[in-house]
Amino acid sequence: MNGFSQGLLDALLRDTHLILPQLFLMTVATLMLWPGDLMFSRAEKHKWAPITLLVLAITAVLVTRTTEGEGFSRMFRMDGLTRGFPMLCVLGSAGAVALSERLLDSLKQQTVEYYALILFSLSGMLFLCGASDLISIYFSVELMAICIYILVAYLRDRATSVEAGMKYFLLGAFSSGILVYGISLLYGAAGGVTTNLADLNQALALTPKSSSLLVFSGVLMVLVGMGFKVAAVPFHMWSPDAYEGAPTPITTLMATAPKAAGLAAILRVFGTGFHGVSSDWVLPLSYIAGASMILGNIAAVNQDSMKRLLAYSSIAHVGYMLLGVLSGDPRAGAQAVWLYMAIYIVMNTGAFAVVIYLQGQGEGERIEDFKGLGRKRPVLAFAMMVFLLSLAGIPPLVGFFGKFYLFKLAIEQGYVTLTVLALLTSAVSAYYYLGVVSQMYFREPEGEAIPMGGTSVFIVTLACILILVGTAFGPWLLDLAGKVFLA
Amino acid sequence: MFTVNTTLMLVATFLPVLGALVLLLVPKDQRRVFEVGSLLIMIASLLLSLPFWFGYDRASDAVQWAGAWSWIPALGVKFSVGMDGISLLLWLLTTFIGPIAIACSFSAILERHKEYYIWMLVLQTAMLGVFITQDMFLFYLFWEVMLVPMYFLIAIWGGPQKLYAAIKLFLYTLAGSVLMLVALLAIYFLQHQTTGVYDFSLASFQAMAPVIAQQSKSYQTLMALAFFVGFAIKVPMFPFHTWLPDAHVQAPTAGSVILAAILLKMGTYGFVRFLLPIMPTATKDLMPWFLGLSLIGIIYGALVAMIQKDMKKLVAYSSVSHLGLCMLGLFALNPYGIKGGLFQMLNHGISTSGLFLAVGIVYERRHTRMIADFGGLSKSMPIFATIFMIMTMSSIGLPLLNGFIGEGVILMGAFQAFPWAAVVATLGIILGAAYMLWMFQRVMFGPITEVNEKMEDLNLREILYFAPLVIAAFWIGLYPGPIMDVMDAPVRKLVEQVSPGFHAAQDLAAKQAAAAKLGMKGMTAPAAHHDSDPTGHEAAPAAHGAPAHGGGH
Repeated sequence: MNGFSQGLLDALLRDTHLILPQLFLMTVATLMLWPGDLMFSRAEKHKWAPITLLVLAITAVLVTRTTEGEGFSRMFRMDGLTRGFPMLCVLGSAGAVALSERLLDSLKQQTVEYYALILFSLSGMLFLCGASDLISIYFSVELMAICIYILVAYLRDRATSVEAGMKYFLLGAFSSGILVYGISLLYGAAGGVTTNLADLNQALALTPKSSSLLVFSGVLMVLVGMGFKVAAVPFHMWSPDAYEGAPTPITTLMATAPKAAGLAAILRVFGTGFHGVSSDWVLPLSYIAGASMILGNIAAVNQDSMKRLLAYSSIAHVGYMLLGVLSGDPRAGAQAVWLYMAIYIVMNTGAFAVVIYLQGQGEGERIEDFKGLGRKRPVLAFAMMVFLLSLAGIPPLVGFFGKFYLFKLAIEQGYVTLTVLALLTSAVSAYYYLGVVSQMYFREPEGEAIPMGGTSVFIVTLACILILVGTAFGPWLLDLAGKVFLA
Repeated sequence: MFTVNTTLMLVATFLPVLGALVLLLVPKDQRRVFEVGSLLIMIASLLLSLPFWFGYDRASDAVQWAGAWSWIPALGVKFSVGMDGISLLLWLLTTFIGPIAIACSFSAILERHKEYYIWMLVLQTAMLGVFITQDMFLFYLFWEVMLVPMYFLIAIWGGPQKLYAAIKLFLYTLAGSVLMLVALLAIYFLQHQTTGVYDFSLASFQAMAPVIAQQSKSYQTLMALAFFVGFAIKVPMFPFHTWLPDAHVQAPTAGSVILAAILLKMGTYGFVRFLLPIMPTATKDLMPWFLGLSLIGIIYGALVAMIQKDMKKLVAYSSVSHLGLCMLGLFALNPYGIKGGLFQMLNHGISTSGLFLAVGIVYERRHTRMIADFGGLSKSMPIFATIFMIMTMSSIGLPLLNGFIGEGVILMGAFQAFPWAAVVATLGIILGAAYMLWMFQRVMFGPITEVNEKMEDLNLREILYFAPLVIAAFWIGLYPGPIMDVMDAPVRKLVEQVSPGFHAAQDLAAKQAAAAKLGMKGMTAPAAHHDSDPTGHEAAPAAHGAPAHGGGH
């Protein structure tokens, strides 16, 4: 064995501990496909859901145990900036998996591939959280996204599901193309020697004036590519359709975990890589953030499908979180975004759990289906109300603390106009969230009261407790966020 | 950590919500349990709050019963409570109105009792919390929490247009308060830049006044406007008032009572507590606008009230007019004006609650509130007519009743500061007398129809919940001194914060006036007597920072 390959092997072995969770996920997912698939008969396939949850729990442990560091020729880096995000991705995926079991059962669509794809996608997200090179960012994004394209079109005998998958795939592939093109422009502009973010930061600062247009278009294209992935306006067009057509647990997944990973990547790219050329992207990004808040919140007002409403509201929430990216202090920004994301994942998963529960009863897709829920299923309606008010950021619910922390940072960094916009549009958001509440509580139900039961109830209750506890201890959450990142 | 008194204050404040938690466990068909239970909880909270009236140290302008508990150290947020005379008065008004609002709901609320009384109790705690907090973050929290119960109270138990009214109330107030939040945060960071510490306490915000005064004009104006809009929506002042008639008309009687008596006072309280002491310079710069809006509110509210056909809407618009008068008093920025404004806040809480309750009474009996449907009620409902008349008189400011004192003191203050504004305001008061008396006349006198003849007079429960209001109206009207005394020191401090050196100048002026009087007396003793007496009379009460029952005489 010659010296080079020996050195490479040593380096790989040395760095492996950085990506243990990803390796574990990929190994398990591969084993699940074969020979795992042979373990259960067709009728028993629903058992994969608890197994996947167990895998996710182990992943969570592994994630907490990974150390900070850099490796794989500086392609991957785990540091304070994005350290908290892998946990959020695991949390979001776990929520989606837990919600999947019953729905897939009722559709008779249980397969092992469904769960394996979620795990593969999660490994892509975890890579994305730590990717510190434009190339590794690109392949992590693709790993994450391609699995989700398939999952969106999972119900392949439903036209809406296939259409949603197709639409998402086409636009996603298109945006990946833009991303790659932007990366190549930057690679050229920086002298054709590096795609590493830290090096790029220095190289871009030294580029001659004549190539400033090159740098600008490169940065802008990366921004567009990333904007597609987190569904920020004006690159959001795929998301309402994809959200509506996808199986609802996958909608839950799309609204939470990939967004967390995508925002981690955006924080990393713009916080470290393009920090030096911030004049190129701050203005476009603030327009994107502002447009996301306005369009997301206003378009949500006129929806009659619950999933579309949540899709548009998630666009608006991404708009708020982009405020954290804009902050001149990447670490403080990451902290605020992380806290918001953590809270958002819980609230959103809870809201989707309610939708899925109702879907199990043959309703829940439309906002009208919530009519009189307060009478028919008081616990469920109360939980939904808590989630919605928290999403609207009404104090003292925990959602308010997330918003407060984010907006505080934005004002500190001088984005007053954007913050005013964010606050006013979040007042608009109260309108449509309360619209659902008013369906639940102020309209008479059709039919009799129905007692509660089923597994989604567990999720609803859990998330509801989390929100209420988070409300009581909301202030300490802020301290916690500080500790996660400064540890 | 907390002294006994502070703990008692917290208990009185949080008792309603604790009671609500207990009631949550009761099965929902137990209607009586909810009614009596919540009434007892409110009364207990009232009884707990009363000793604070007697325990308040009237000589001190400090925040009393103060207690603080570190809550979010990273942000400098403390769970910090305490009251001065101004908060104390409004806090007591809230505990006072609480049982009344519950008692008037017994016959008005016919469905979903459990939710109703729980929301009422939660609302009560949120309102009480606003008045005791000494921390801006906590204040904002309570301020927003109030909205949710009010939204449900209107949207579930309200009239035909309830959903529209509820969401309108919610969005208007939310939009205003988020602007306020931005301004709060901006000051918070300004404070960090100048002092290096993160602190949300009210005292530290008030201490920022000189620093804010040095910022650029546009910064100050924007800050002041953000606060102004937030509070003006709640008051509500003229262009921001449109939610009020809708909310009042659609709300159940108790909701209207609380809305009028307490929620509107949050806005005026916000002005007194935050805008004036934190941004006095900007306030003075914008004063022509603020003053103009107050005056428009007074006249416009009165004129619109005049033409209303619906009694509840009439009372609602009269609130716009009366609150405009309160704001005029506060914006006079002198002790008379501010005291009068605060005093009138209490009066409005009492008289307008009474009027809304009265409208509720006829509505429960006839299911209509149109003035044209009534007439001659004084024949079929003599007790009701008497109480209604007392409340009407209190509202229009008849001497011996509470309204008179408030209006008088406000006009004194306003006249010192802006004489022409006082003249306009007087016009509003005259209009006020006109529309109230006209309504009274159309409802109570004239020919009686067959349906109205059968209307039952007040029962014991109804008399019992009107009684405290009637007693309070007379008591305050006859003996306003103690209430003025409670406000004395805090108002003096506030005036000093807004216009440093105000009292020193007043004292000097009084001394000069006294000296001049002496001198004149010495020179031309008999002849000058008539001229000098009025001037001397005017300067004297001002000299003591006015412990005045002045307007009463």
